[in-house]
Amino acid sequence: MDPKVNGQLQHDWSWLIAAYLFLGGVGGGAYTIGAINSFMGEELGLSTTVALWIAFPALLVGTMFLIADLGSPSRAVLAAMKPKTSWIARGTLIISTFMVLSFLHLVLHQFVAVDQSVLNVIAIAGIVFAIGTMAYTGILLGASKGIPFWRTGIVPALFVISALVTGHFALMLGIAVFGDIAETSAMLRVMALEAAVLVAIEVLAILFFLQAAFRQPDPRESAERILRKRMFVIGYFILGLAAPLVLMLVAYRAMAGDGAGVVTILGLGAVLGLIGGLILRQAVLICGALPTLNMAGFEFRRIHRPKEPKPGIGMLPPS
Amino acid sequence: MPRYGMVIDLKRCYGCYACSMACKTANHTPPGVFWARVLMGEVGKYPNAVRQALPVLCMQCEQPSCMEVCPTGATQQTDEGVVIVEKDKCMGCKYCIMACPYGARYSVEEWESYFPDGLPLSPLEEFQKKAWEEKSGVGVATKCDFCCDRIGDGREPACVEACPAKARIFGDLDDPNSEVSILIKKERGQVLNPEFGNEPKVYYLLPR
Ligand code: SF4
Ligand code: SF4
Repeated sequence: MDPKVNGQLQHDWSWLIAAYLFLGGVGGGAYTIGAINSFMGEELGLSTTVALWIAFPALLVGTMFLIADLGSPSRAVLAAMKPKTSWIARGTLIISTFMVLSFLHLVLHQFVAVDQSVLNVIAIAGIVFAIGTMAYTGILLGASKGIPFWRTGIVPALFVISALVTGHFALMLGIAVFGDIAETSAMLRVMALEAAVLVAIEVLAILFFLQAAFRQPDPRESAERILRKRMFVIGYFILGLAAPLVLMLVAYRAMAGDGAGVVTILGLGAVLGLIGGLILRQAVLICGALPTLNMAGFEFRRIHRPKEPKPGIGMLPPS
Repeated sequence: MPRYGMVIDLKRCYGCYACSMACKTANHTPPGVFWARVLMGEVGKYPNAVRQALPVLCMQCEQPSCMEVCPTGATQQTDEGVVIVEKDKCMGCKYCIMACPYGARYSVEEWESYFPDGLPLSPLEEFQKKAWEEKSGVGVATKCDFCCDRIGDGREPACVEACPAKARIFGDLDDPNSEVSILIKKERGQVLNPEFGNEPKVYYLLPR
C-alpha cells in the first residue's frame, strides 16, 4: 500500500460518519425550525409536533451510526472525558444534552399536559443546543489539523446552512405525509418559498467554500477532486440543490390555487434535498486529503506511483 | 528526565526502506500500516533535480494535535516526550488520525492477511497478529512510539538500529552533548512544516 501523506486521501471516515453528521444536522435543523414555530401561534402547531417527532429519532439513529463507526464501541462511554480540548468530547456533551431536551420536549408536548411556559423554557434551551449540534458537525471537521480542505473556515457555516435546509425538507415531508393536505397546503406553500431561499443560501455557501479552497494549494487538491466526483456534481449540486430549488419554486407558484396536486412535487424536491445533504457530507469527507510536507529550502515533490503493486513473489496474479 | 528526539540525515538516506521493514518486524504492524515510512520524491529544479527519499514517522510533537483532539484521554505524552496511545482507553473514533498533519496514525479493524484472495493467515502472520493485538490492539488508533519498550531495555528504536547508512540518529534533545543536539545545532536541523505549530521532535538535516 502506498504510504500516506502528500495529497493522499483520508480513508478512515466515510459513510457512517457522513450519516452521523447528516442526521445530527437534520435533527438540529428540524428542531430549530419547529421550536421557533412553537412561538408563532396555534396554526403552526403541526410543524412543531412533526419537528419533535423528527429531531429525537434522527439524533438517536445518527448516534448509532457514530457508534457503529467506532473501532471499540464498548468504550463509547469514555467519549466525553476531555471536553477541555477535544471537539468530539464537547460534541458528545452538546448532542447528549440536546437529545435529552428534544426527548423531554417530545414527551411533554405529546403525552403530558403541561403549562405552555414550561414548553417554552425547554424550547429555548433546545434551540441553543440544536444550533450547537448543527455547528458542531462542521466544527468537528474544521478542527482536524490533518485535513486542510476542512480547515478553510467555511465548513461549519456550510454545514449549519445545510442542516437547516435538510431539517426544513424533513419537516415539509413530515407535514405533507401526516397532515391533512386541505389544512396544510397554505403552510406548505410558505415553507416551499422558505426552502427555496435556504437552498439559494446554501448554493452561495458551497460556492464560497469551493472558492476558499481553491485559493490555497492543499485544499485546492481536495476541491479539484470533489469537482471531479459525479456523486458531488450530479448527486449533490444538480439533483440535491438545483432540482429542489426549481421544484420548490414550481410548487410555490402552482399552489397559489388549491394546491393539493403539487404535493408530489414538494415531496420529490424534499427527498432530493435530503439525499443531497447526505452526499455533501460524504463528498466533503472522502475528498479530505493530507497536507503536503515541506521544510524551509526543501521543496519535496512526491512521485506518484501506480496504486496496485505488480504481481511478484508471494503475490498471486489477479484472477 | 531525557526528552527523546531523532535526527534524520537526508544527505545519507538513500531510500532503501530498511527502517520501514525493521519497524514492521519489531512492531508487527499489519498490512497497510507503516509507522516508519519512506516517501519517494524529487527536489530541485531541472536540470538540477534529484531523486530524494524522505523518511517520515510520528514526529513525537511537543504540541501534539492528536492528543488535543482525543476525547477519551487515550493519547498521552510520556515524561520523555513520547506520544503514546493507551489502548485500553481508546474507543477508535479516529479523530486523532484526522488531526495528525503528518499522517502518522493508523487504525485497523482486523488483521488481514498479506496474501490476496482471502488466503488464510500463514503461521508467521498468526504470530504477528497475536503480538500486534497484545501490544497495539485492533479497533484502536496506533502509531510509532519511538520503540518505548526497546529504549527501556537500553536499545535504540528498530529503525535507527537497522539504518545501514546511519542516517537516523536517536537521543536526548535536552542533553547539549548528545549526538542529536550537536547535529541539530551544527547542521541547522529543520522540522517538517513548522507552520503546523506541532513542534516536532524529529529533525532533518537537509541535502546541500
Ligand atoms: S506526528 Fe501526528 S501522531 Fe505523532 S505526535 Fe505529532 S500529531 Fe501526534
Ligand atoms: S481513536 Fe482513540 S486515541 Fe484517537 S482520538 Fe479517538 S479515542 Fe483518542
